[in-house]
Amino acid sequence: MPDPHSEVQAAVTLRVNGAEHTLSIDPRTTLLDLLRETLHLTGTKKGCDHGQCGACTIHVNGRRVNACLALAVAHDRDEIRTIEGLAEGDRLHPMQAAFLQKDAYQCGYCTAGQIMSAVALLDEPCGPEDADVRELMSGNICRCGAYANIVAAIQQVRGS
Amino acid sequence: MSATAEAPPMRIIGHPQPRIEGRLKVTGAAHYAADHHLPGMLYAVPVGATIAKGTIAAIDARVAEQMPGVRAVLRRGSFPALAAAKPDFASVADLEGTVYVDERRPPFDDDTVRYYGQYVALAVADTLEQAKAAADAVRVTYRAEAPEVDPALTAGEMTVKSERGDPDAAFAAAPVTVDQRYGMATETHNPIELHATIAAWEGDSLTVHEATQGVVNHRNVLAAMFGIPREKVQVISRYLGSGFGGKLFPWTHSPLAAAASRQLGRPVKLVLSRPMMFHAVGQRPAITQRIRLGAERDGRLTSLRHDYVNATSLLDDYEENCGEATPHMYATPNLRVASGLAKRSIGTPTSMRGPGAVPGLYALESAMDELAIALDMDPVALRLKNEPPLDQGLGLPFSSRHFQECLTLGAERFGWARRDRRIGSMARDGLTLGWGMAACSWLAERFPCSARVELRADGTARVAAAVQDIGTGTYTIMAQMVAEALAIPLSRVEVALGDTSLPAGPVSGGSMMSASLVAPIQAAITRAGEALVALAAGNPAAPFAGAKAGALRFAEGRVAAAEGNRQAVPFDQLLRALGQEAVSGLGRAEGTFPPKEKPTHSKHSFGAHFVEVTWQPELARLRVSRVVSVIDAGRILNPLAARNQIEGSIVMGVGMALFEETDYDPRSGAPVNASLADYVVATNADAPAMEVHFIEYPDTHLNALGARGVGEIGLAGTAAAIMNAVYHATGIRVRDLPVKLEQLLG
Repeated sequence: MPDPHSEVQAAVTLRVNGAEHTLSIDPRTTLLDLLRETLHLTGTKKGCDHGQCGACTIHVNGRRVNACLALAVAHDRDEIRTIEGLAEGDRLHPMQAAFLQKDAYQCGYCTAGQIMSAVALLDEPCGPEDADVRELMSGNICRCGAYANIVAAIQQVRGS
Repeated sequence: MSATAEAPPMRIIGHPQPRIEGRLKVTGAAHYAADHHLPGMLYAVPVGATIAKGTIAAIDARVAEQMPGVRAVLRRGSFPALAAAKPDFASVADLEGTVYVDERRPPFDDDTVRYYGQYVALAVADTLEQAKAAADAVRVTYRAEAPEVDPALTAGEMTVKSERGDPDAAFAAAPVTVDQRYGMATETHNPIELHATIAAWEGDSLTVHEATQGVVNHRNVLAAMFGIPREKVQVISRYLGSGFGGKLFPWTHSPLAAAASRQLGRPVKLVLSRPMMFHAVGQRPAITQRIRLGAERDGRLTSLRHDYVNATSLLDDYEENCGEATPHMYATPNLRVASGLAKRSIGTPTSMRGPGAVPGLYALESAMDELAIALDMDPVALRLKNEPPLDQGLGLPFSSRHFQECLTLGAERFGWARRDRRIGSMARDGLTLGWGMAACSWLAERFPCSARVELRADGTARVAAAVQDIGTGTYTIMAQMVAEALAIPLSRVEVALGDTSLPAGPVSGGSMMSASLVAPIQAAITRAGEALVALAAGNPAAPFAGAKAGALRFAEGRVAAAEGNRQAVPFDQLLRALGQEAVSGLGRAEGTFPPKEKPTHSKHSFGAHFVEVTWQPELARLRVSRVVSVIDAGRILNPLAARNQIEGSIVMGVGMALFEETDYDPRSGAPVNASLADYVVATNADAPAMEVHFIEYPDTHLNALGARGVGEIGLAGTAAAIMNAVYHATGIRVRDLPVKLEQLLG
């Protein structure tokens, strides 16, 4: 058992939204806490810290991942994209624009996770129906219950 | 542009408007409480009691205190005791002076543990990882006692809340009766945003970023607990990851974070974990209700009794006001509503979306369905039969009630006429269908509120109030009100809210925010217009040189001479001509809630839900497949956001009927399913197809725009409609929420 009094640090290099960060971190740090508390990329939210709500969904090497379940040290040299890296300058990603237009949120807290999940879904094998989208988006809880508009926003982007 | 040309018709209020803060939300740039970072900030993690009743024998923090980065392990005696804020619910009617908490005991006030998870210590460290590890390393020993966890709720005494006629005699004489009990499990709010506090002292001033639905009340409670003037406390909540009532009033983690910050001289960030969201931040308590209905054979109600008992904590008397809608919902000459409390070893309950009326209407509307069956009568027809001419509970006319239209329109849109009343008789694609319906109602009141509106020379306007946008769309509605009144595009209005440095506003609760904002914003615009007119009058630089103030009029953002045909001048043009940057006005309006004097009208919204469920007995698979809701909530200010509110409530109603239940271990008193994996809320795949209709009769008794509020009414009645549909599909009447599949397997 490690000595609880020792201060262990681990080196890690992460590429986040195209920028490289070489950091010395507490090996207990999750990707989520690293993004939020160290890099101050607070667009990614913590809702449960147990992979149960999806609020912290980000992309790691192009696939959606719950950042709260990922230890940062396990992602050395991985390509990470967060909500802050989705728009191109002032131009919103079509999914962001669709969420805005369809009112696919209320409080906005789960929204980053919903959008990152939805963008990843575009490259996943997903049937054409609303029910298919609902199933693949059910790892992202929206307690405000804006599900109908979330599905409408995703289907609009898929149809365009 | 010719000033004589007709201004284009403004399509702002009453038209769908995407949220003005939407861009910040979809880009991750909206900063919620826990997203703030302050220089030198420390991280705090609470240690919760692992017993539900007893006393703390010892707290051993020696290991924790020696761990890397740990600054302190605070406990009782570590800092000067906090004062108990003297909570007074009536004070929420006091705009600047509201002081209310549900859990009145300050944290660390004594060594007695009264519920599982009560904070007994607080680890503070340089990083979150260090603070978590330290909190885990704190060893607490207890003298445990047997907790009060009996799920059977009985009250020592019942308090009569509303009474008329002789309900007992009428019930005894009624040819058709229903007498049933309805139970509801504890529900936990579970907004996805965790409760969070960032507290920082500068000298004797405290700034707090808080996940709260009420910045002014939160400020006043903290000031009272720390014994400092309110002016020394600033509370900020610009974006809130929703609350559903759970963030209406302060909980003990907030003063703990502030006390730690004061003690250590550094900003402190405290974010609860998801399990802690089940402990010390409120819940809708377990409730048992008994409904007794007596009716004539033609369906006329002759007696209605509604008795309810809710669980509350050992120290606080939280009453779930289940009878709120009962006295006015239906006509009956004889009625009694009575309530009681059952003390349990649980955290103090609090308001959860539609407190009172939501559980109350679950029971009443289930019983009405049972009465319709006993009468062999259509449940829509039964409700139409019992339309009251006035609110018989208050003896007052309704400000605006169009419940019957909700019933008939809903029935038409749903296709209710095709319903075969026989149990399990309807099917589609091999699935048994169940069709059920229920009514809903929610109060319509206003809190006192103030607001400032500034008109600027660049053609923009700013509206500011210390209110909150909890996801309901307050930012956008404030902008709509100003844009429409000034006849400028929505994009030219800046909105500031969620900060106690702004003009005082009320809590975001009771679906009252929009209604509360109408009058103060209008008054603020009027005051700003008066200021502009005063500047313009007699100013030789102005287009109205020589005019007297009384001869000038301000309307729709323009100043015009009351007489003559001089052109009206837009405010920005006039300000530039005057060489002024801006003018502003402060508006204020009193509320109607809690009432200070007897009202002239009963003000409520109404509605009806029609629900289809599908049932596959071979798989024991129950789904809510389709919902049609018709809502009578006055004028709808932003149909896009309003529809979203009703749909979101229906989704929450699916959870209430089918999933949501906080389970307390009968031995330890711990909520054992304290996670989002084990406390199930509706996911995207659980959401039914929804059709929402608003019948818009502006209710100007409440405000000039005729809006009543839509945040909660959609949840009322939804679970009853679902369970009535479940009965229609299965023939099994489940009277305890949430329904469990084993109950349906008979």
